[in-house]
This record gives sequence, structure tokens and C-alpha cells, in this order.
Amino acid sequence: MTDHFKERSTRDYHQKQLFAKEELEKRESLCTHEDPPFCNAACPLKLDVKAMLAAVSEGDFAKGRSLLEYITPFPEILAYGCEGPCRRTCRRSEIEESVNIPAIERAVMRHSDVPKARGLLKMRKKQKLAVFGSELFTVAVAADMANKKYPVTLYTEAENEMDLFRRCADLDDEILERQLPLLKKAELKICFGTPLDREFLEKEEAEYDLVCGASYLKEEEVDPVTLCDSRNRIFPHAEKRYSHILQSLFDARRAAVSFERIVQRLDPHNNRPQEGETESHLFTNLNYIPSEDAVAENGLYSREEAIREAKRCIQCECVECFRGCAYLRAFKRYPRLLTREIYNNTGIIMGDHMMNKAMNSCSLCGQCTVTCPNGYDMAEICRAARENMVDTQKMSLAVHEFALLDMLFSNTEGYLAGKQPGYETCRYVYFPGCQANAIAPDTVFKTYEDLMQRQPGGVALMLGCCSVIARWAGRRELYQEQIAFLKEEMHKLGDPIIIAGCPTCRSTLQEHFPEVIGLWDVLKEIGLPEGSGKLQQEVMIHDACGARNDPDTQNSIREIVSRLGAEIKEGNWSKEKSACCGYGGLVSYVNKEVASEMAEECVREDPQATYITYCMACRDRLKRQGSNAVHFSELVYGTAADDAPGLSQKRRNRKMLKEKLLKEVWKEEIMQEKPEFTYELSEEVRQKMEDRMILESDLLETLQAYRDNQMAVYNETDDTLTTRHRIGNVSFWVRFREENDHYTVISVYSHRMTVRTR
Amino acid sequence: MPNEKTYYSLEAGGNLICHKCGIRLVKGNAVFEYLENAFPVELPVCPQCGFVYVPEELAMGRVLSVEKVLEDK
Repeated sequence: MTDHFKERSTRDYHQKQLFAKEELEKRESLCTHEDPPFCNAACPLKLDVKAMLAAVSEGDFAKGRSLLEYITPFPEILAYGCEGPCRRTCRRSEIEESVNIPAIERAVMRHSDVPKARGLLKMRKKQKLAVFGSELFTVAVAADMANKKYPVTLYTEAENEMDLFRRCADLDDEILERQLPLLKKAELKICFGTPLDREFLEKEEAEYDLVCGASYLKEEEVDPVTLCDSRNRIFPHAEKRYSHILQSLFDARRAAVSFERIVQRLDPHNNRPQEGETESHLFTNLNYIPSEDAVAENGLYSREEAIREAKRCIQCECVECFRGCAYLRAFKRYPRLLTREIYNNTGIIMGDHMMNKAMNSCSLCGQCTVTCPNGYDMAEICRAARENMVDTQKMSLAVHEFALLDMLFSNTEGYLAGKQPGYETCRYVYFPGCQANAIAPDTVFKTYEDLMQRQPGGVALMLGCCSVIARWAGRRELYQEQIAFLKEEMHKLGDPIIIAGCPTCRSTLQEHFPEVIGLWDVLKEIGLPEGSGKLQQEVMIHDACGARNDPDTQNSIREIVSRLGAEIKEGNWSKEKSACCGYGGLVSYVNKEVASEMAEECVREDPQATYITYCMACRDRLKRQGSNAVHFSELVYGTAADDAPGLSQKRRNRKMLKEKLLKEVWKEEIMQEKPEFTYELSEEVRQKMEDRMILESDLLETLQAYRDNQMAVYNETDDTLTTRHRIGNVSFWVRFREENDHYTVISVYSHRMTVRTR
Repeated sequence: MPNEKTYYSLEAGGNLICHKCGIRLVKGNAVFEYLENAFPVELPVCPQCGFVYVPEELAMGRVLSVEKVLEDK
């Protein structure tokens, strides 16, 4: 057993893959947070509609314009001629009229100027391109390639630029005129008034590296994806999926990709981005979207109208897991990214493990699996990562040692097992759980008295820990050892049916013992004891994560609470969606800030309400957070709820409960060891000890060691003594004043490093 | 190590006395060890029994932060 607590260097060259690559990808693929919004997925030109609308809604028309210019050289022609596939898939269309994206695009182009800055300096390319034709496709290819700094020559029958644009699109002259600066900006050579036919093309093309032509100049059908003919010349394909303008601009984009591949001496099919309409699995929760009337476009949106319409954009993103989880919010990562970073963390052999805190701060409560539309299981990933790090000796013992020692305390000094007096064999054993023993010993005592009296067949008792703490810490071997211990002990009691007082104990023990029921099941069956508390008020129920997938338990608790006379107000985050109180997964030991936010999250819906819990750890965490929380058994047995006890008090409570039970139930006299000395602690010192996770037993042992060896340092300035004592992996220091056998403790601190002279 | 860091400075004259030996603590060479890493430091040490004094500010400040860094190595 002690080997588990031997501190080792974490600089071992061990590595074990957390998941196979395929499994990692399968798990990650469940998180669709990074999937494109539906408007973007529907757009063949892949306009970042969401970003454009966000920019416009903030009045940043220049940014909106730059996003449009990024996808096509003639955004305004697009804005007037696009049929708007994005509008069809806009999620707002499921509630009311979709956002009028093309109208906003028109407004963006009209209310912003041609950017003066040249943008990034691009290298001038060598390959010369000849473009033949006077249709939108050819002009767009020419402008696009010229913008990419290829030397481009455009041959056209048109007489001048305006004539050229008139041949391109059937739009008002006023709109077309505004495209002229864009054509100039592209710096391409235009040969006006050139009569074009195949012969001319054949003659001229010898001069160029790349060739593109209008549809009427093509000799053979081109590849539907690359638009290349057998000689890698580019022409539009006969098949049209979109309106003339959108199709032409989309084809121009595809042509540009093909040219780039040809220049790279690659097959134009190679390495193409996803083109055209794509599928998105993004989840957008429409429940939280308020209705907003569409802004009518009378001719053209004014700036203000465009801003107002852009604000109607939902800004689709999936934040389902974030809504109820303080952990994910604290680490600002969606499960997909978090999984990858935790996965990488387990693979580091030498260097800083930056994600240790992240993987140890998950409460393993399983809420995300319920709230995620695809059932993402972050808890399993964090737990597996912890086990992986323990297996490869990369998990520092410091992280979970306190909790693990607390578990061992529950199963040694605080442990008690006994049959009901007068029974040779007991049909049941009551297993209240380590937290109940530590937080509400009086309630546990009364519950056991009641069970002995009213539950037929005899009820034995076992005070201990169900071992889940070792599992949460990722310590498999220790977990198996503890389970083996419990099995042996249960066998001594005659393998009775376990009545668990805690839902987490229940679900843990259920994996190893044939029959485990809950205290609530028994109370529902035998009824409430006489004189149980009456609650004439409205209450909320904080469901335990240990019973997340256990509707029977959730309902039994509700029935008992109703019988107590309370009226239950169901919150939006109750039952299977309940948030964790911050005790689960040992978060409260590892990351106090996140644990505190978790508890806050549990009562966020109504901080003033009375919360009934059925896990003692929840009651403790919520109470600590200042809310009015009470365990249902405290109401059943009328035991007044104390405030949340400190770490030392929790241990004392367990010992006191054990002694009281031994004395009053089993009539055993306990020999109380009287300490040789007395001591006093101010509230400030107590708080310090709590924050630093130092127990009063550690303090006592240190003082006792001082009394034995007299090792201390005397400080003349403040007349204090400071002594040191090492217990396990920790050095404890106590600063005190001594008066005969009485000690006034001034401060207590500790460190894990050892120190010696050299 | 070229320049050893001093994490704690003794007040002039020294105000710390070893309770057991009754001798004033002096600036001495000590070493912190953790997870197979060692850090030489200068701390108040009893010249007779070798008791090394780690003050609270040092333990809860620098020592704690170095522990955390090493734990994540």
C-alpha cells in the first residue's frame, strides 16, 4: 500500500498512447464546434458570411468589403446577381425570414470605398496567361489571376471597359460603372476590339504558358472539376448549377485553383479545397434566439439598415457543452480542441505538461455527454488521460495525494463494520459513504438507528469509502486494492444487500457487488419515520452527477421530498442535465477556483432557493458557496444542517461517529487517548490551514515531534519558536509560543521539497 | 552553478537561535531536493546540529511555485 505514496521523478522515459489515431479522430469528430456555419457551407465561393455580418453589425464595412473581395474580384456584380444559397440554409429561416445577406453585401459595397492600400506584397509571377472572351467567366479569371500577379492579357471583342462589363452581366450601367476601378486595380492588359474565333486562339496561345477561353471557343468538353481540356486549357463546363453570375464567378475561382496547380506542375485534380456546396453538422440551438423582424430593402439599405439587418444574424455556433459547464468555460476550449491538447499532453516525454491542470480539473460528471447533441464524453477522456499519466509515472503524486490519503483514512482509522446487534446474519448493510460520515455524522447515526428498527432482516453497517476517489485520481491499482478490501469485508458480513447513502457510492459499488440499492429506495418503501421534518415551502432539487443516468433515483428523491411536504420547482438544469458541485473528479482539491465556479453554476438559476441534495458532497459544496442547501436525509431525520465543516473537522467527525456507534450500538468502551499537551488556534490560523490543506492531526504530530526532539528555531524578534517535522512526502512547519504544556500556534505551513545542508 | 541565488537574507547580527543547541543560526549552504532535482541555496543553518530553517514566505512563495513547475515536468 505504501508504495502508492512513494514520490517518484516524473522525468521517466515512459510513454503510452492514450488512444489510437483512429479512435482519437472518431472522438474528436463528435464535436462540431468548428464546422462551418450553414450559410458558409452553402456558398460555392465560401464567403465567410458569419464574419462579414459580424463586421457589418459593428459598422465595420471596410472589413465586410475585404471579405467579399477575398472571394471574387467583382463583389458587387456578385451581390446583384447572386441568388443567395446562403439565405436558403440560414438557420433563422426556421423561425422567420432569413437574414437578407445579398442585400447586406450590396450595401457593404456601396457604403465602403475601394481600399487604397495594396495589401500584402505579392511576388510577380513568370507564367504568362492569355484569356480569350468577353463573358463574366473570362473577365473574372483575368482579374483574379492578375490580382495574383500573373502577367495576364485579355483579348475581347468589346470596344471599351463599359462595353466589356455590359457583355458580362445584365445589370444597370450605374452598377457596372462602379466595377471600373476594380478592373483598373487588377492591372491587366486588355486588347479591345479583337475578333475572336478558335483559329485566333490557336494562333495566339503559342505565346503563353496558360490559356483560358470563353465557352464558345472550346473544342471539347472540359473536366467538370478542374475545367481543363485535354491540353490543360481552361473553359467553362456545360453543366450549370447556379445562376449565370454566381456560376461564372464560381467557375473563375475553380479555374484559378487549376492554374495554380498547373504552375506547380501538379495534376489540376491535386490538393483542391472543398469546392461548391458542402455539408455542415454544426448544431445551432434556436431556443435562445429572440425573434427579430427583417429590415425591408427599398432600393438599397442605408448604413443603419444594413447594420440592423446584420444584427439579425444568429452567429451560429455550437456552445451546448459550454452553457452548463464551468470547467470548459474556464479553460476556454471546446471538447475537440481540449481532447487534442490533452492527448498531446499525455505524449510528452520530456518537457512541460501544460495540460495537466486541465485534465485534472474536469469533474468527470458526464454533463457534456448529455448536453452535447452528439454525446461527446469529455469525462472519459480526462479520466483515461489521468490513468495514462499515472501508468507512465508522469502524474505527480502531489496532485491527488491529499484526497487519496483521505480515502485511506476512511478505510482505516475511520473505518467501521459491524452486524446489527442480535443478528447472526444481516440481509442488508448500510453504507452511508465517506462524505456523509464526514459532514453529517448525526444524520448517519440517526439513519442507522432507524434502519435497524424498521428495515426487516437486520442491517449491518459499514463506514468507509467506496474507492471512487482512487478511480477519479486515475490510480487503477489502488482502486482495485480498495475494492478487494471492501469485497473481503462485505464477505465477512455475509455479503448482504448494500444500502448506499450516496448515489456515487451506489454506482461505483454496483460494478462490483451483486445488489446495491439506495437509501432513498428503502425510505420510499418503508415510508418516512415518525416526526420527520415538515417542509411547507418551495424547493429546488440539485441532482447528483452520480445519478445522472438513473431516472429511478431522481424520481424516488422527488417522491420523498414531496412526502416531506415541499413543493418542487424544476429548474432547466435538473435531472440528467445537472451540473457538478465541484467535488466530482477531485476538482476541489486540484483547482479550487473552477470547483467554486462549478458550485456557483449549480445554484445560478435561483441563488436564493432552498436546494435539496441527495449526495452529501453536493450539500457541502453548495453550502460552502453560501447557498441554502440541505441533504434530504437531514430533513427526514430532523437533524439540523451544520455549516460546511473544514478538512480537519471532517476527519474528526468520522472518528467521532465511529466511536459513538461503537459505544452506543455495540457497547464497546473506547479508550480515549488524552494528549499530553493543549494548544490553541486562532480563526486566522484555522483558515490558513484549510487553504493550505494542513490537518490538525499533522499539526499535533509536529508539536509532538518537537516535544520529543526539541528541534526548533527561536526568533528573538517576536519571541516565537518554529519547528519542522516530515510526515510522508510533506514537511510541516509550526510557529508557536510555548508555555509549560500549552502551545499558542501562530502559523502553520508546509512544503514537499526536502531540505538539508551540503 | 555560477551565481547561486540567495533566497533568504539573514538580518544583520542574526535574530535566529537554534533552540536545541542554543547557538545563533548562520548563513549556510543548503540544498532543496524534489523529484530528483536539487537546488543549492543559502539559508539560515545551525552550525552545530545542521537544522535548516525555511521561512514561511519562502516555503509558500518560491518553493511552492518551483514545486508546481517540477510536478508538471
